[in-house]
Amino acid sequence: MHENTVENSVTLCRSCDLVIRKRALPSGVRALCPRCSTALYDTPYCSVNGMLALCITALVFYFPANFLPVLEIHFLGSVRTTTVFQGAFAVFNQGYWVVGLAVLAAAVLGPGLLILSILAQILIVKWGLSIPFWRDSLKQLLKFQGLLSQLTMLEIYVISFLVSSFQLSDFSDIYFGMGTFCFTMLFLVTLFLQREYDLEHMWTLLDGHH
Amino acid sequence: MVITSMKQQGKDIGLCLCRVCQQLNTTGRTHCLRCETELKVRDYGSLQKSWALLITAAILLVPANLYPITILTNQGQVRHDTIFSGIVHLVHSDMIPIAIIVFIASILVPWVKIIGLSIYLCAISFNLPISKKKLMVGFHVIEWIGRWSMLDLFVISLTVALVNMGQLLDAKPAPAATAFALVILLTQLAAKILDTRLLWDRLENQDDTN
Repeated sequence: MHENTVENSVTLCRSCDLVIRKRALPSGVRALCPRCSTALYDTPYCSVNGMLALCITALVFYFPANFLPVLEIHFLGSVRTTTVFQGAFAVFNQGYWVVGLAVLAAAVLGPGLLILSILAQILIVKWGLSIPFWRDSLKQLLKFQGLLSQLTMLEIYVISFLVSSFQLSDFSDIYFGMGTFCFTMLFLVTLFLQREYDLEHMWTLLDGHH
Repeated sequence: MVITSMKQQGKDIGLCLCRVCQQLNTTGRTHCLRCETELKVRDYGSLQKSWALLITAAILLVPANLYPITILTNQGQVRHDTIFSGIVHLVHSDMIPIAIIVFIASILVPWVKIIGLSIYLCAISFNLPISKKKLMVGFHVIEWIGRWSMLDLFVISLTVALVNMGQLLDAKPAPAATAFALVILLTQLAAKILDTRLLWDRLENQDDTN
């Protein structure tokens, strides 16, 4: 097969279509396109059990992160709190549903779907690869992986805690709640999960099991 | 790390990379070997789509900056804040670091993105003699910083949910918030949809290391 022999030695840059001869890389090194410096591939560092552990940890933090108070305002004796979920809902209720949906997608739905998707992929890789239905589901999940990881904006939300607490401290006393801790932990765990995850490696796992 | 290349484009030797799963395919195929997505050697239509999205975003950038983005009521006094006046208030209340963060996320990033993308698209459409390497590095930077504009929307959603004490202290979103959300969405889509390989075809007769 001509196609297969070419495939193993050569790759193309996804940004500029340059033909590149593949080389084995030492671990922790990333191959860049010599013409346009796009990241091409790196050594797969993708431990399935490690990812499973991170997924479960992320799920544990997910619900308190979204439904426990993240900010508390003490104003003339009254205490108000808000959660991440209420934040999205409040702008939605004011009639700014585009903004509400954007916040909901980037901070609540995006991370949730990302974690669930990776969890499902791991379970299929571990136990379901021989069943055609699960192989097909894995293929569909992998196709949406890029979109989901772009939709997840936890790091930006963590910075926005700081910015809003500083902004509001001009008017009254602001305290962080339990949700802030859980959300920051969710961010860190998801960060490590995404570093561990390698989309190309997941595709080869699907390929290698015919 | 830079690896050796053959200085050839994939389409010259009959190869094409799938845009969804990065699988190498022969150009004879209509659908990807691995994920069954439709294959395109070059997506010429993406240039028009990208222009359309970018121009819409540029138009929306005007209301996003001119209209107020939040309405703040503080002890009976109503204040309409645009993105810029919000930053000026932060500077006046001695929160320079926060002001810098908000300035970068809400003003600098959207403008850099729209100007950068239009330079990039002009270079493809009108064959401008700009260094392709610099354009591509700029494009990767734009792709990466684009999401940080969401910061302002997260801050607004948290503030609106937290501060709702009627005449005493109350925050509400204002029309610019929707326009701003759409600017972020449309510019992200414009960068995502564009087939960057078009740039490297157009100027191929010139030296590609310029």
